[in-house]
Amino acid sequence: MKKLVYAMAMLFGLSLLSGCGKSISDQSVLKNIRQSKTITWAVEGDKKLFSLIDIRDDHEKGFDIDMAKAITKEILGPKGQAQFTLATAQSRIPLLKNGNVDAVIATLTITPERAKIISFSKSYFQAGKSLLVPKGSPVKKVSDLNGKTVIGIVGDNSVEIIKKVAPRAKVVAMQDYGQAVSALKSHQGDALTSDNGILYGIAAQNPEELEVTGGTFTKEPYGIAVNLNQAPFHRAINRAIDKLHRNGEYNRLIKKWFGQVPGFNYKEMYYK
Amino acid sequence: MINIFNHFGNQLLDGFGWTLLASFLALVFSLLFGILLALLEVVPAKFANQVGRTYVEIFRNIPLLIIVMFFYLIVPKYFVQLDGFSAGTIGLFLYTSAFIAEIIRSGIQAVSNGQMEGARSTGMTYQQALQHIILPQALKIVIPPLGNQFVSLIKDSSILAFVAGFDLMYQANAIASVTFDTINSYLVIGVLYLLITMPLSYYMQYLEKRLA
Amino acid sequence: MSMVEFHDVQKYYGKFHALHDINLKIDKGETVVLIGPSGSGKSTLIRTINRLESIQGGKLIVNNQDLSNPKTDSNRLRQDVGMVFQHFNLYKNKNVLENIMLAPRIVSHLPEEENKKQALDLLKMVGLEDKAQNMPAQISGGQKQRVAIARSLAMRPKLLLFDEPTSALDPEMIDDVLQVIKKVTSASEMTSLIVTHEMGFAKEVANRVIFMDEGQIVEDDESALFYKKPQTMRAQQFLSKIISH
Ligand SMILES: Nc1ncnc2c1ncn2[C@@H]1O[C@H](COP(=O)(O)OP(=O)(O)OP(=O)(O)O)[C@@H](O)[C@H]1O
Ligand SMILES: [Mg+2]
Repeated sequence: MKKLVYAMAMLFGLSLLSGCGKSISDQSVLKNIRQSKTITWAVEGDKKLFSLIDIRDDHEKGFDIDMAKAITKEILGPKGQAQFTLATAQSRIPLLKNGNVDAVIATLTITPERAKIISFSKSYFQAGKSLLVPKGSPVKKVSDLNGKTVIGIVGDNSVEIIKKVAPRAKVVAMQDYGQAVSALKSHQGDALTSDNGILYGIAAQNPEELEVTGGTFTKEPYGIAVNLNQAPFHRAINRAIDKLHRNGEYNRLIKKWFGQVPGFNYKEMYYK
Repeated sequence: MINIFNHFGNQLLDGFGWTLLASFLALVFSLLFGILLALLEVVPAKFANQVGRTYVEIFRNIPLLIIVMFFYLIVPKYFVQLDGFSAGTIGLFLYTSAFIAEIIRSGIQAVSNGQMEGARSTGMTYQQALQHIILPQALKIVIPPLGNQFVSLIKDSSILAFVAGFDLMYQANAIASVTFDTINSYLVIGVLYLLITMPLSYYMQYLEKRLA
Repeated sequence: MSMVEFHDVQKYYGKFHALHDINLKIDKGETVVLIGPSGSGKSTLIRTINRLESIQGGKLIVNNQDLSNPKTDSNRLRQDVGMVFQHFNLYKNKNVLENIMLAPRIVSHLPEEENKKQALDLLKMVGLEDKAQNMPAQISGGQKQRVAIARSLAMRPKLLLFDEPTSALDPEMIDDVLQVIKKVTSASEMTSLIVTHEMGFAKEVANRVIFMDEGQIVEDDESALFYKKPQTMRAQQFLSKIISH
């Protein structure tokens, strides 16, 4: 018993300590990146179209990656370097809060809860939740999910949303998209829910077996996240997005990445 | 930490229940199956020895995650539907059985050969000698390593999180992903794991003393 | 009437030829002592008699059962053939009384009361009635060996095998054990084969002495004769060595 108390006390001590290490995020990120000429971005590695590691050259490729590069150049000038750190849906925010990265561009939906602990740029992509199902599935729309099992991703807000739109659906959260897709193919769930852009990417990789269905049932504006109290850096990112919108670079990237996706009306995504 | 417990009490309790259930089932079945495998390895029959040996070598030398994934992804596709909890618990039980078999086999072999000869020379059958003489003595030897294995099993049950088995680790992942308070989310379940493993450790120590 | 008959018996450990052409007959009621240098095959020979070792050639008949026939039931055989080991092999997880009572209970299904009475009588016979509740670890080597003898007697064997029953004992305990063995083997219907280097004891209790060397039986004499003057050179040398000790 004495040992148990001792062990608990140590754990409590640890948890107190963890509350103290906030100092990294107090320094000015904008100043630091101007000095180092580098912005470190948290990105994902498993999302075709947005950010997928190309195993041929080990580089991340996708819309998020190109946006990060373009924004880096806007802020730091043509010599500016974008550096990428791989994150999962689960680790992308902790990485930012711990100061491991300067900003997150990782299909991150702007939500009020998240906005309490991190600061979002203006939205750079208008996504919406949709459903990925095996071809020929009886699931056609979100209300068909009641009584069925839906696969989501840990750390993705789709889990909460399904609970609202189809309360009688059972939700199982998988660790990453690779596992989630395997689970869907192994009939561990009737549908996989996530943002339409991501799902189209997956469907494009599995054209024989999987398809996106039912349109979008939420609005998921993606934002770039920086730490709170980094107002100068935050403003710089917003200005950069504006600039890309106006000079046509943004629409060019939309077309580059989404122009070929079957079933996806990429022109709706254009900045007008 | 207290905060997390207040907000996510139900979810954590749920996870605690699933972890406890998976651990309990895997423990009971792996103990029974482990004993069976150990016997296969020691009985005087070459074929049985080979079967036991092969099983142990295969399951001891594959990462648990792969075994669990097999039951979660492959088995449902071609054989029978298994949810994450079942796949995880079956994988855990099959994996742990191999280690328990090893512990029990070496426990049996640590009992001197003279004990078996003494028993057989009075006309006891091999089974009677095992039951009355060898296994009771082996039990004393295997209690400490068996205790370690049981504790490992409980910690290994966190593998269920990877297949959405609703256990403590799964809940902590989910809680961390909505609170972004990663450290405290895991500390809370760390304490909950201790609540299972510590009493078990104490019980095994008690057994060890009582049998000595 | 013979209790044990070896006819050209061969024993191999892998390629190693441990017993060569063994021919030996032991009559009912006889007490035979087996001696020979270390590694000569004494233990091997004695262990083939209760099938702790298998044989690879020849014919071996024990208590009218043919051990060269694989169908012969070893467990049945061993109920009539007791064995006492150099290192006692008492069950470490059972107390003295249970060591004696276990086999009669689960092998020959002796009624519990009769079993207990018999065990206590046997303990009295070996002089250890006050140790009934002790665990083996709590008694001396000499006492362990006396318990082991009582244990083998509890199955009411017709043949008793002793493999160096006193070699692991401190000298002051040897006599107590030899006294017990003498008492047991002198019963007229008991047949026994004893591996021992206690030549004084051999002279006293044995009808015959058998000398083995390199897996062969070299001499087989009446006890008194052997003791006076062995026939072979090897036996003479061996005898003078152990007596000068
Ligand atoms: N299980 C075994 N495997 C291989 N060889 C063995 C085995 N048991 C005995 N031997 C060999 O057989 C021979 C006879 O051994 P055994 O034990 O019968 O001799 P012994 O006369 O009893 O000797 P000691 O007086 O030392 O007890 C020895 O050379 C021994 O090395
Ligand atoms: Mg010997």
